[in-house]
Amino acid sequence: MTCAELEILLCDYVDGTLRGEEKTALDSHLAGCSACAELAKDVAGVTAFIETVASAEPPAELLTRILHELPTGRPAAEKRSWWRNWFGWVHGLLQPRYVMGMAMTVLSFSMIARFAHIEPRQLRPSDLDPVKIWASIDDRTHRMWDRTVKYYDNLRLVIEIQSRLKEWTDQEQAQNSSPARKPGDSASEGSKQKAESGTQKTDGSGQKPEAGTSEKKR
Amino acid sequence: MATVAIPAAKWNWVPPYPRGRTANNLDADAQLVDRCLGGQDAAWEDLVKLHTRRVYSICYRFTNSDAEAQDLTQDVFLRVFKNLKSFRSGEGLFVVWLTRLTRNLLIDHYRRTRMDRATDSIEDQVKVLEETTAVLARTDGMLAGREASEVLQAGLQKLSPELRETVILRDLEELEYREIAQVLNVPEGTVKSRLNRGRAELARVLRRHKVRI
Repeated sequence: MTCAELEILLCDYVDGTLRGEEKTALDSHLAGCSACAELAKDVAGVTAFIETVASAEPPAELLTRILHELPTGRPAAEKRSWWRNWFGWVHGLLQPRYVMGMAMTVLSFSMIARFAHIEPRQLRPSDLDPVKIWASIDDRTHRMWDRTVKYYDNLRLVIEIQSRLKEWTDQEQAQNSSPARKPGDSASEGSKQKAESGTQKTDGSGQKPEAGTSEKKR
Repeated sequence: MATVAIPAAKWNWVPPYPRGRTANNLDADAQLVDRCLGGQDAAWEDLVKLHTRRVYSICYRFTNSDAEAQDLTQDVFLRVFKNLKSFRSGEGLFVVWLTRLTRNLLIDHYRRTRMDRATDSIEDQVKVLEETTAVLARTDGMLAGREASEVLQAGLQKLSPELRETVILRDLEELEYREIAQVLNVPEGTVKSRLNRGRAELARVLRRHKVRI
């Protein structure tokens, strides 16, 4: 006998209704399994303890109270009126929790409609066409996306960062191009010098771009 | 006297009469229900008198409050009064039907008062523990009667509702396993498993309170 099988038979064992082979098998299992033996001891102990417990007696006035509260007549055989049978469910819907739930649902939908610029009063049956609804949602999404992009681009901070980045990129390009120049390449030297001096003029000095580059790297 | 048509039994088991209840008791229940449905006020009084103790006891053991148990007992009988027509004596015992109704009300009540219990329980447990310790010092761990009842009451409150109701229905109300299975709407094996777990847990709680079992 396994511990699980013992657990099923334990109630009958404690009741004293277990007989024959099952009882013998259970007894031999208990002799060899300390965990089951402890369980059986606990269960039997509690059952014996509960038998010594006094029953909970109701106070005498409770009976009077119940009999006083019970309506007289024959309620169980009473026939329900037809309107109660048909519209009884309406009463259930008027419970506060359902009413609150419905109110919250209506409020949520009205808020969503407001944010989506849907005017329920101007709704027509043709507006409920799935294709039209889809086109409307698509259109609104694109507009919203464009508006967001435009707003982002117009932010002063974004413009400043973009212009600074552009400046740094130009300076890096200018620096990279100057060491690559060959000293003996006289054909293009004059024109390149001109371009370089032009860049330096915009930078103010020859040292500043380097400082700017190192700052950026940091 | 009004006669009630008894439909063919829906359950396959043949009921041997439960402990403490005889064929006469069961007949008396069936006759009382018939008389109640026939509109006899005196029958209602007899029905209430006959079953108040059982309903009150289940409610008291479960809630651990006399006031709540009284209110719930009253609610149970009001519900019996309204729904007795739905009981068919051929489909089972009146006691099982009544216990199921009581249990459903108790579970509703348990869910409703969950928040209140969270704040009250600590104070109550400390109080019961102090009282138990004092009693045990006097009785050398051997308890009986009213004192045992109070200690058991405190121990039952430590069990989960599932285990508590099973122990109450079996060990205090002495229902049969199949009846408990019908009341709780679970298989008989589950009833026995819960009973073992409930009793073992209760033994641990009582031992922690130095009660000799």
